[in-house]
Amino acid sequence: MSRIEDIIGQFQGADYQETLAMLLDYSEALPPLPDEYRDARDAGFNRVPECETPVYIFIDVRDGKVRIHADVPEESPTVRGFVSLLVDAFEGVAPEEIESAPENLIHSLSLDRKLGTRRMFGLSAVYNRIRSEVRRAGGVN
Amino acid sequence: MAEYAHPEVVVSTDWVSQHLSDPKIKIVESDEDVLLYEVGHIEGAVKIDWQTDLQDQVVRDYVDKARFEKLLSEKGISNDTTVVFYGDKNNWWACYAYWVFKLFGHEKALVMNGGRQKWVEEGRPLTKDVPGYPKTAYKVSSVDESIRAFRDDVTKHMSAKKPLIDVRSPKEFTGELLHMEAYPQEGALRGGHIPGAKNVPWATAVKEDGTFKSADDLKEIYMDGKGLKKGDDVIAYCRIGERSSHTWFVLTYLLGFDKVRNYDGSWTEWGNLVKAPIEKP
Repeated sequence: MSRIEDIIGQFQGADYQETLAMLLDYSEALPPLPDEYRDARDAGFNRVPECETPVYIFIDVRDGKVRIHADVPEESPTVRGFVSLLVDAFEGVAPEEIESAPENLIHSLSLDRKLGTRRMFGLSAVYNRIRSEVRRAGGVN
Repeated sequence: MAEYAHPEVVVSTDWVSQHLSDPKIKIVESDEDVLLYEVGHIEGAVKIDWQTDLQDQVVRDYVDKARFEKLLSEKGISNDTTVVFYGDKNNWWACYAYWVFKLFGHEKALVMNGGRQKWVEEGRPLTKDVPGYPKTAYKVSSVDESIRAFRDDVTKHMSAKKPLIDVRSPKEFTGELLHMEAYPQEGALRGGHIPGAKNVPWATAVKEDGTFKSADDLKEIYMDGKGLKKGDDVIAYCRIGERSSHTWFVLTYLLGFDKVRNYDGSWTEWGNLVKAPIEKP
């Protein structure tokens, strides 16, 4: 079972409060953006424009493995938690694993049903951004 | 300097910190971000979520009377409780919750000026402890739909050339921005605005620190700037009716307008309605 399948299973079995608790844990666990990406972030590069929260995603594919670095403000714990979840699921995996992950991951995680569909646009944009960046980095044939 | 028309409905962070253990008061946090309350909130505050608590999850409407009564009873709020709202994003969602409480006829409601941002910036404490209050028997006696506009009201209003305030961003107002590819249900099929509407983005009403602008500044923006008068019948709208509840609050309580309604269908209804007239520059 891939890491993302494992995470989907955990979220599907969780109620509203458990979902919030898992996202909160994720939000607190997001590693800080490494120093070498800070200038790019401060210059406004790699921001996900569709997300109202200032989210910065940096994707590299090296030696067949995906590296994800991200910066999300602590004042936006839901987006931060979701980005941290994606890092947990996809950091170090082969690009094909991201490609074969569910198209509508938010629905698979049942976040739309539990947190309300109107909050999901920004999250969806972040996920799509990661997938397209992985493709662009030449990781998927 | 002129005062707000109803200065008593806006309280300071100081005032709130002095009333934390006042049994007649309940503090309600309402945020855009569903997790912020869990990160930490004002001691004793309860969480009310605009989507999962206040909106019906099937029909596009608010919860019904019975569910509102159940929600408030569980939060320990009685009919005579003074509810103080605060939240993120300049009290955007706090004003939305405030409006919904008024829709259900709740009498004593206040807003903490500056919201969550000001409280945090002042270094005031937050806690993760979720309070438990004895259950109450909240009763809704009547629903006050005089503060809510439906699409037929808006059509009549538009035909009568009465003032409409579009509180979205300038790009949404002109129709340049409308589509949201990944989530088409969040957007509208057509861009632009309701004919005759004037654009005053909602956050124009607040200062950098999240507090409301002074009565004089607000008067300059809405009355001198857009020609609104206190006796006008005004309808405010945005995309889903949340930002416009903030403007509804400003016009009603800070400037003292007699008749302001929030069109909660807003652009996601109007911009999708077949044959609805649209103005686009």
